Amino acid sequence: MGNKKTKLHYYPGCTLKEKTTNLDDTTYAVMDLLGYELIEPENWTCCGAEFPLTEEKIVGLAAPVRILRQVKLEGGNKVFTVCSFCFNVLKRANEAMVTDPLKHKRINAFLKDDITIDRVTGDKTTGFPEYNGDVSVLHLLEFIRDEVGYEKIRALIKRDLGKVKVVPYYGCRLLRPKGKIGIDKPDDPSIFEEFLENIGCEVIDFPFKQECCGSYLSLSMPDAASEASYNVLRSAKLNGADVLALSCPLCYYNLDRRQDRIKEKFPEFHEMPVLFFTQLLAWALGVDEEILGLDQHFCDPRSVLGIDKSGVEI
Amino acid sequence: MSNNSDSKKKNKKQSETTLEMVPIFIMGKKHDVPATLTIQKAFEYAGYQLVRGCGCRGGICGACGTVYRFPDSYRIEVGLACQTVVKPNMYISQIPFFPANKAVYDIEELEPTGSTVWALYPEIFKCVGCGTCTRSCPMDIDVMEYISRAIRGDIAGAAELSFDCVMCGLCTVRCPSEEVQYNIGILTRRLYGRHIAKRAKHLEDAVENVKQKKFDKGVKKLKKMDIDKLKEIYSARETEPQFGPEEWEPENKDYLITE
Repeated sequence: MGNKKTKLHYYPGCTLKEKTTNLDDTTYAVMDLLGYELIEPENWTCCGAEFPLTEEKIVGLAAPVRILRQVKLEGGNKVFTVCSFCFNVLKRANEAMVTDPLKHKRINAFLKDDITIDRVTGDKTTGFPEYNGDVSVLHLLEFIRDEVGYEKIRALIKRDLGKVKVVPYYGCRLLRPKGKIGIDKPDDPSIFEEFLENIGCEVIDFPFKQECCGSYLSLSMPDAASEASYNVLRSAKLNGADVLALSCPLCYYNLDRRQDRIKEKFPEFHEMPVLFFTQLLAWALGVDEEILGLDQHFCDPRSVLGIDKSGVEI
Repeated sequence: MSNNSDSKKKNKKQSETTLEMVPIFIMGKKHDVPATLTIQKAFEYAGYQLVRGCGCRGGICGACGTVYRFPDSYRIEVGLACQTVVKPNMYISQIPFFPANKAVYDIEELEPTGSTVWALYPEIFKCVGCGTCTRSCPMDIDVMEYISRAIRGDIAGAAELSFDCVMCGLCTVRCPSEEVQYNIGILTRRLYGRHIAKRAKHLEDAVENVKQKKFDKGVKKLKKMDIDKLKEIYSARETEPQFGPEEWEPENKDYLITE
């Protein structure tokens, strides 16, 4: 494996550095095995988490466009994310810089006067070049399908996931809005299924794979979020799944970390393990259990992976 | 006497001819002030008595945050009045005070995590990343960057990046998301100092020695000492040489703490 690694820009997003470090750690682990050295754009900030939908209030574009401009200034022509929210915002902000001349003009006029300060010398830089949407924004599922290739993944597999029955859960942000995201057909997606099949899982179809988990309602209307998540998990169970796979930290929060709240509202609810797609991939590629961060889960997914509490094979 | 006053007059005349004056506008009113003055001294030269918004006069206390503009530029410039020399045609206003919410907490009871910061300053998530705070900082701190670190729970990073903050509040004045960056910054520095930074063993030992009254005898002796004798032993005291070896130790080891 002494080959030189390919440098690739990676935007993790805030949640991955605090609440879901398991998603970040497994991303680093699998990308290392696939031959990539990840570069986080310097001074990255929160992407904003929501793409601004109002025509005039465009300040929410400043942060994602600045992040993309930084990738370009560092010589990158693509950046990938694993968080569905970050992906959605960066992708659409990028698209706005191509398709909306007025937003392009206003955001670039604003960002031109940014100041960066050299941490060592204290020198200030200002007068930044325009950003024209020329960095491609990719989700890791997309990057694996189009650039790594499933063949390479299959060749690197170290652990058999054959007995694991998985439902792919897309949620909202990976696919919609139609025509703006482009990772797959929003009405009839298959990218997640293909990925799971190629890492050796038994894929189970279920009707709630594009439904909402409750999203931010877990803050303002927790009961409504519990119900939405309950419907998703119940359907997965009824269809015979052992585990639900996803890519979004907020879906993970609603579908795993809030299972105690779901149980309060629906006493007949059965706990169900939830795993990030990168955790499944990491496991298949032979990454140490420790790096998977399984202790962070509410519902312990170890039995699904065929190991007991201490990481020993069952 | 008369000679003396003559030379004074001559000096005055000379300084008047060489003193370069520049026009500045204090809250819109024009004043001609010597070109070498800081904004703070120019205010006083123009007749203002500074009671608030004027502290250490040395660029540390952060009381004299000031904004200014030039007629031919759209930019809002910032500086500390005591550190910034006047320039011709600057339009100046000091912002000596700006209301800012401040969380009340007992640092001992807090954990050094993102959740702590988020609970005390939930509005931190309103940050839209516009970067105006960084543009407004007279201390050249990347304010937006340390707020980003706090948002993602990196307390040590936020503490380090905000270290030079003088709490002037100009970031807060200009923030469109109504953040109080400097209070968030000092929270992260307190969390870092109390809970993350490595404890200094020799300091703890020294404090323990004070508690054990190890120095009481020496202090009593000094208190009783004659002033001249005190001066003498003070002048003759051993101090660490400026370029001495690392393993230097004083000859008198009575009060030396070694690990």
